[in-house]
Amino acid sequence: MILYENSEARLLNIIRWGNNPFKKFVCTSEIKEELDLVKSRDTLIKNIKSIVKQNNNFILPIIGDVGSGKTHLFWSLKNNLYYYNAFYISLESVYRKFFYNIYSEFLENLKIGPLKFVVNQLCENWGALERKYGFFHVVDIEKVKHAAFKQLSTKYSEIESETLIDAINGITTHQLDPYKKIEAERWILGKLMDAKELSILNLSHDLHKGKNAYIMLRLLIENSKLGTILFIDDFEKIISIAKPQDKTPEEVFDPSWLYGSEMSPNDVASDKIFTKILQLQRIKGLRIIITLKSIDSLDQIKRKYQEFDSELLSLIKEPLYLKDFSEDDIFEFYRNTMSTFYDVIECNEFTQTFENPYFPLNKLILKNIFDQTQGNPRAIIKILIKIFNELIDDEENLDLILKKYENLDN
Amino acid sequence: MLGKIDLDLIIIMSNIDNSILYDSVKGIQLEGEFEGSIITRCKDDNDSVIFSDNLKISNSEGIFITEGFKVGFELNYNKKVAFSRRIEAQWYEDFESIEYSILISEDIMQIYDEGQFSDAFPYTLNKLNTATLYLNDYQHEINHLEFFKEEMLRNPVALVGNGVIVADRVVIDERIDPVFYDCLIVGRDEDEELSVSFEPYMNVKKSLTDVKYIIILGIEELKL
Repeated sequence: MILYENSEARLLNIIRWGNNPFKKFVCTSEIKEELDLVKSRDTLIKNIKSIVKQNNNFILPIIGDVGSGKTHLFWSLKNNLYYYNAFYISLESVYRKFFYNIYSEFLENLKIGPLKFVVNQLCENWGALERKYGFFHVVDIEKVKHAAFKQLSTKYSEIESETLIDAINGITTHQLDPYKKIEAERWILGKLMDAKELSILNLSHDLHKGKNAYIMLRLLIENSKLGTILFIDDFEKIISIAKPQDKTPEEVFDPSWLYGSEMSPNDVASDKIFTKILQLQRIKGLRIIITLKSIDSLDQIKRKYQEFDSELLSLIKEPLYLKDFSEDDIFEFYRNTMSTFYDVIECNEFTQTFENPYFPLNKLILKNIFDQTQGNPRAIIKILIKIFNELIDDEENLDLILKKYENLDN
Repeated sequence: MLGKIDLDLIIIMSNIDNSILYDSVKGIQLEGEFEGSIITRCKDDNDSVIFSDNLKISNSEGIFITEGFKVGFELNYNKKVAFSRRIEAQWYEDFESIEYSILISEDIMQIYDEGQFSDAFPYTLNKLNTATLYLNDYQHEINHLEFFKEEMLRNPVALVGNGVIVADRVVIDERIDPVFYDCLIVGRDEDEELSVSFEPYMNVKKSLTDVKYIIILGIEELKL
């Protein structure tokens, strides 16, 4: 019979079984982050929310150092702006098949229900729900397609007719032709399709080809009742493609030897992506949030806008800054993470049990970590992971570990 | 009890929104031109119904309908045959030939529209030409319900009791009773007041209800 329980020993045992409360120091777009931002970042979230609510089209730069929590910010925004369709891309991952990849990410976040609703609304706008004799819906697909083309060719005059016709055929077939609905849904979901499947649907290309994904993206975003937020991480990649960061004097190979001095393949690639970003900005209702590491990058991007399309420059908002943790933040962050950990191990009572609220560490160690890292969240997490790993792997005496980190400066 | 409450609610809601343009029983006759979804029930031996998106009522000249769609029965070589016919322009100078005309509210019509794109039943049968599914007539009875057992047919129009049903589709269930889906029902309540309601589905038991006819409208005839 257990008369009393030593909670501290129990927690240490649980940790020593290999449960590190601090598991990862890099946040990704694939794994949802439940932990909210620390309180000092509330103002930043409030400012972003206010910009999102007041504007339909903009580019909002968020500037923060490496490891300051830019990707974590995306998850926090997604949770806070849950009534928007917020989705994430990293320029590095969508470098090829740019629009198709963005379209896929967009659909993955939108989900099938709202997608069907938007497609249905589009068909309704094109006259599919016209009531013959006041009551009867006699679907004349050709008439609907004709009305759609008339509407879209005026609205999107810069888009090729073939692309528009593909989008119209895909959408109208999905909604109005029950016998081809399944194939049309595959096309709308961006699946690879062979020539036979495409010819059944009377389509030229699937969404991998040409600008089909772009026009679908535009139609869906512009007609979606939810607002859309595109979060582009590491936006300065667009500059680094053109201007490599490596400035070592050693010259191994210069592409200009082959392609001439004016436009290297990197320049061409960079310009291509940039032109596509400009096209994204023409989508009404698409709010773009970009993350950058420095204000210099923003200046370079602005210069690029000046060069390509100075009109769109006005859509770039004043940057917001993602600052490093303050001293209070590290204490809050530690306690929140431990509290989440207690939830996971089903020991919620631990939040109230310990006399030292920072057990198994202490305030002095956290302060030392803060001083050592100058408040950089990633660096803080790395040290915390290291401490807890020492506790797990070496099974060292807790006091020895605490002493070691209490004198971190030494 | 619950069923009665629901029915009352439907009638109250409907009466607020729908406009009775002409009612021979209650002596209602609104003069003017009307547009929208209008059902006109004729006073003839075959209980014909006219669907139209316009109607003009003039005290002196009668009721005028252009581009309407009349549904009913006619005798053809001593056989009763369902018909649906486009009316280009028709004056009903004699008010006596019309029982009522009712303009259905846009709210109800929008609910009715929502059922139209349901992808839950992609393989619903469309009849090309208008035909009788069921006719309860002593001399000319027609009953194809058994043949269409467990099938789903589009665009049925039915007369059940004194109510007109216009539905998106009808299913003949395993007991050979028709079940109407996404239907508009126009009829008279106990006080002879006209009312309209929308029902997502309505089970009609032939044995218990007075089903006069079920006509399946031909898709080609609707396209004309």
